[in-house]
Amino acid sequence: MHIEKQLEVISACRFCFMCRHLDPVGNVTFTEADTPRGRALIIDKIRMDGQCLGNRDFIDTLYRSALSAANRFHCVSHYDETGLVLAARQDVVEAGFAPENVKALAGELAKASFTVHGKGSILYYGTHPELYPGCKALSGKDPGKALAVLGFAKESEKVLAAFKKAVAASTCKTLVVAEPSAYDFLKDKLDGIKVVHCTEYLLSKQVKAGRARKACYLESDFLKNYNNNMPAPRELLKKCGWTLVPFGTNGEESYAVGEGAVVYDDLNPELCEKLCRRVYELAAGAAAKTLFATASLYVKDTLKKYNPAFNVVTVEDLVANDSL
Amino acid sequence: MTQNNYLFEMIRSELTWIVGEAYVQTHDADKLGHSIDYYWVPELWHDRGEKLTPPDFVVHPATAKEVSEILKIANTHNIPVIPWGGGSGSQGGALPIYGGIVLDMKRMNKVLNIDPLSMTVTVEVGINTQHLEWEVEKAGFSTMHFPASIACATLGGFIAHRGTGVLSTKYGKIEDMIMSLEVVTPTGEIINTLPVPRHASGPSLTELFLGSEGTLGVVTQATMKIHPIPESRKFHAFLFKTMHDAMAAGSKIMTNRLRPCAIRLYDETETAKLVKRVLGIDRKGAYLVFGFDGPEKMVDLELEQACAICRKGALEDLGTEAGQNWWDNRYKFFYPPYMFHLPQAFGTLDTVATFAHIEKVYWAMKTTVQDNFPQATFIGHFSHWYEWGCMLYARFIIDNPPQDPHEAVALYNKIWDMAIRAAIREGGVINEHHGVGLKLGRMMKDLYGPAFKVLESVKKALDPNNIMNPGKMGFPGKGV
Repeated sequence: MHIEKQLEVISACRFCFMCRHLDPVGNVTFTEADTPRGRALIIDKIRMDGQCLGNRDFIDTLYRSALSAANRFHCVSHYDETGLVLAARQDVVEAGFAPENVKALAGELAKASFTVHGKGSILYYGTHPELYPGCKALSGKDPGKALAVLGFAKESEKVLAAFKKAVAASTCKTLVVAEPSAYDFLKDKLDGIKVVHCTEYLLSKQVKAGRARKACYLESDFLKNYNNNMPAPRELLKKCGWTLVPFGTNGEESYAVGEGAVVYDDLNPELCEKLCRRVYELAAGAAAKTLFATASLYVKDTLKKYNPAFNVVTVEDLVANDSL
Repeated sequence: MTQNNYLFEMIRSELTWIVGEAYVQTHDADKLGHSIDYYWVPELWHDRGEKLTPPDFVVHPATAKEVSEILKIANTHNIPVIPWGGGSGSQGGALPIYGGIVLDMKRMNKVLNIDPLSMTVTVEVGINTQHLEWEVEKAGFSTMHFPASIACATLGGFIAHRGTGVLSTKYGKIEDMIMSLEVVTPTGEIINTLPVPRHASGPSLTELFLGSEGTLGVVTQATMKIHPIPESRKFHAFLFKTMHDAMAAGSKIMTNRLRPCAIRLYDETETAKLVKRVLGIDRKGAYLVFGFDGPEKMVDLELEQACAICRKGALEDLGTEAGQNWWDNRYKFFYPPYMFHLPQAFGTLDTVATFAHIEKVYWAMKTTVQDNFPQATFIGHFSHWYEWGCMLYARFIIDNPPQDPHEAVALYNKIWDMAIRAAIREGGVINEHHGVGLKLGRMMKDLYGPAFKVLESVKKALDPNNIMNPGKMGFPGKGV
């Protein structure tokens, strides 16, 4: 089993409570199972008794995790409980125990295809090609990250292979990626291709500075917790004239409503709505017209889905708005 | 209770009617998490693949009224109710040893009011204490409650076992921080204790419930003191040749009535092991660190007074940087891999005594452990200091306990029995802030003597059916 490669993490997390306050799901379900300790205990139980791998309650819990990695980022030893859950999901899938909704979702994700348009030496993969003049644009859905997160490793590799083929066909040696989950997935998977996040790229360009304004920046799970608190999104916003107002009561929790699990809203809409409600409640304390900015289109769309009036845009939206 | 019988379904229906379907859990995943707290024995049980005792139901109430209704159901069916906060207690106090209903309080997590004039916060006690601190800080104050378990535990958990934080020397333990409580009694009445902790209107009901570990009712709401965020907080550290020399300096700081926010003294063994490993301070001797907070001028003055006391007997002045290093890393000691963990056997022999007795307690426990259990290492630090004495956070560690879980627990309990009784003989009190729970219940009669009958009478009067956390704190169980 894949979980057996992570004995050190199991051993560290199964009886440790030190990061439980940061689990976004545990903070809305209040259950012990929805904490890093709770999940590590379950996985340890599976490790000791393989029959538990088919336990529906255990499987449901593993797929409820939002995989924010806030816990790992906070942990003084950075034990990778998130990676442990991903390993367990892979074991579940390979043993044929994936829930029907997970299988159906994986089936859809496996159909992804990719095409390249335009001219240029840099390839842009996102939804704002107008911000990248002189760049080719790559269109298509998730490049395999979502499948990997669901535990479908082989299917993920196939989609990634199709993505790589499209990139190779473009002949570009630099890939600019907008969605943080895709950036996290691709950054070390494309041989000979430099992968940068769109905010890093835009920061290196002459971005038009607008008038002084304020916005709350909702940190991205992937750019903060998975990529050592990448400063580019915040620096870009500041360069564009935005003063960033802190959100919530602290800088440690994830307010990314399941971004780390990539397709969390498709998988757990009820729970995802609860995560959104928590953000709306905290936002209620902010000024009425506060603008919320996120690096993730997933976060924007999800927050808008459960409250269309919620004033949230992507960082690229803001730059586009200033540029156009 | 088996999930296949009628009664199980009848009770589940009753509970569901009170809190809603989403908040009554009977799934394996939920029950596993509630079968193990931070007590070493259930951890070992899990590790060795032994069968744990799960609750029958995990219920998440949202209001005191819901708690009241749940307790009435439990009385009707005579089933145990075990309040659960963060589950991070080390004494087995939250374990559902007879099954029954685990009342997980985390859904009751709202800050209800911050009174800036009286400087109090009123809050539902299921709130995680780090979340509480963040909310209070956002309003410009601090609870000054900074336990190592701040991120793990709920306020209710601290109230249940009289917990404490790093700054206890100045700001007190939880019992000093609490103004008043809302409690649901075992028979379901919702009561409030008097709104202020200082009065002459009879005995303090607040005190009765503080430390009652869920055996006398369910605390649902609390009003606690909050404090201004201090202008300055500074630390300083010294190395002493022996723990005795450092103890002399530390006690002098306290008896001279300086008001440090924290003092911590590590014995020679813990200095060599943990202080070196966590803080990187590699010295032979006893490490003493202290700090002051408040207006900067006062901090500087008191810090200088304390340093002057220490310089007379210290081997080395480690300076402010070494002191600040400790403060910055104060929680690091409790994260893996720095904290002891299985396969090791380990226990915290938490004891408190006056300055006249505390060193005798230390040596009595150390000698007992070393003479009788050569396989065990004994380390200790003194971590909560008062005008009259301090707390000894002694620990024993066995790197390779018996593989057989029954043998391992028998050995573990024997160390506790001998070490704690040695401490009691020398004037020590078990314990200062971890509580009694399942682990130390058997020693309550030794500790209290005839006075324990008073506690038993209170328990019987408040909880006639013995539904509240049976078998804990030395109170009767439900029968096995």
